[in-house]
Amino acid sequence: MHHAYIDKFAYQDSPVHRLDSRVKFLVVLVFTAVVISLPRTSVSILFCFAVGPFAILVLGKVPLRFAFKHILLVSPFILVLALTFPFYDRTPVTVAFGPLVWDTTLGWMRCFTILGKFVVTVLALIALVSTTRFSDLLAGLQRLGVPSLLVIQLGFLYRYIFVLIDSAHHILRARAARAIGKPGFNTELKVAGGMLGSLFVRSLDTAEHINVAMHARGFDGNWRTINKLQIRSADYLFALVAAAFIFGLYFFVRPVLQ
Amino acid sequence: MSNAIEIQNFSYRYPDGTSALSDINLAVEHGLRVALIGPNGAGKSTLLLAMAGFIKGAGKVSIDGLEVNRKNLKEVRRRIGCCLENPDDQLFMPTLFDDIAFGPLNLGLSPEQVRGCVAEALATVGLAEMAEKAPHHLSAGQKRGAAVATILAMSPKIITLDEPDGSLDPRHRKNLVRLLAGLSQTLVIATCNMNLAAVVADRVVLMDSGMIIADGDVQKIMSDSKLMAEHGLEVPQKFSDSN
Repeated sequence: MHHAYIDKFAYQDSPVHRLDSRVKFLVVLVFTAVVISLPRTSVSILFCFAVGPFAILVLGKVPLRFAFKHILLVSPFILVLALTFPFYDRTPVTVAFGPLVWDTTLGWMRCFTILGKFVVTVLALIALVSTTRFSDLLAGLQRLGVPSLLVIQLGFLYRYIFVLIDSAHHILRARAARAIGKPGFNTELKVAGGMLGSLFVRSLDTAEHINVAMHARGFDGNWRTINKLQIRSADYLFALVAAAFIFGLYFFVRPVLQ
Repeated sequence: MSNAIEIQNFSYRYPDGTSALSDINLAVEHGLRVALIGPNGAGKSTLLLAMAGFIKGAGKVSIDGLEVNRKNLKEVRRRIGCCLENPDDQLFMPTLFDDIAFGPLNLGLSPEQVRGCVAEALATVGLAEMAEKAPHHLSAGQKRGAAVATILAMSPKIITLDEPDGSLDPRHRKNLVRLLAGLSQTLVIATCNMNLAAVVADRVVLMDSGMIIADGDVQKIMSDSKLMAEHGLEVPQKFSDSN
């Protein structure tokens, strides 16, 4: 079965793809922290920050349509949160954007800031996973000192989430093939419970088999991998440009725009 | 010289008390290709697990002269490689390279040696260009080959394979047969596919209800239509044509 892998563009080749995963991860981490720490009413500066992830996506030949589709997929969660602000913060404020001046409330400002921060940071995250193979990202995390137990869990999650989705699809198809008429809510609930139980048992089985496969190949509790990562001069240059962009915007452009 | 596999009076019951294997006696010489045939639930997979020390029962199991027990387990698993039925269980790392390197790294080989083992194993199964691929991007046939490569990279003396041709199309099955025929290790193949067993094996062991029913020459056992039918099996094409 084919799945919409979030890292499907990570297997392309471009200067951004060739950068070390550790450097890209750290840049995205700092970028995200800085964007999140922006004042809750700084809407205009977010447009400037958005240039960074856009540049990475364009240089990495990742279609913007793909990025925005994924943003839309996760947006309902943040949308619900953001849309509550205009209801409880009705302090009037006057906003100026170039020659345009209009009156609004602080709640709406906060709502747009949160949405803007969400779009920019998720865009940065998509830029990272679309230009970095997940295996390299995991190796990078491990080299950066992230506890190996967490890295292993992430690796297994990435490896088996699609196997689990396939199993769920098979169960749903088997149910659809035998479902005649419209069952009542209680019957649906009972069937759903059975399906979840079956999926759970299959997951346990898979976990047991993986355990056998690991021990059959000498696993003794210590996770050993080969370091394939190497930091080159292009990585230093990228880190330098990214730092200049992030801190330049934060310390020099933001005060001017406020 | 000791046998590759020696099993004496081995019996095993599942935790619920159901008998899975009873009084198994089996000796496999080095370099031999043995097919374990039998209907579903005959105990073939359980016997393979017993060989690698994943289940403990009554009786004695020795691998390459080493008794399978807690003390020898690490060395036993260095000598016997298990290829599980579902390649998705066997391939658990993010890339094929990492998966095949997993075993050799656990054996304590240096990174250079590991790279050599991985390249050699991938070349043997015809997946030399796929090292950086994620397992979920491989076809069923490629996954099967990759699963065998994870074992080959550890250079075991004995390899056990559980239903190695499951869900393979005829082309990939042919490739698998060619691959297995080219291996010099002792092979124990548990299979329900009689044609595969007839083509690959030097010796056949027929199991049913956790017991060994027949053990010996491939043609003699597999062309016995009465014996095969009694245990829910069919005579492979190779022998039914000659009858």
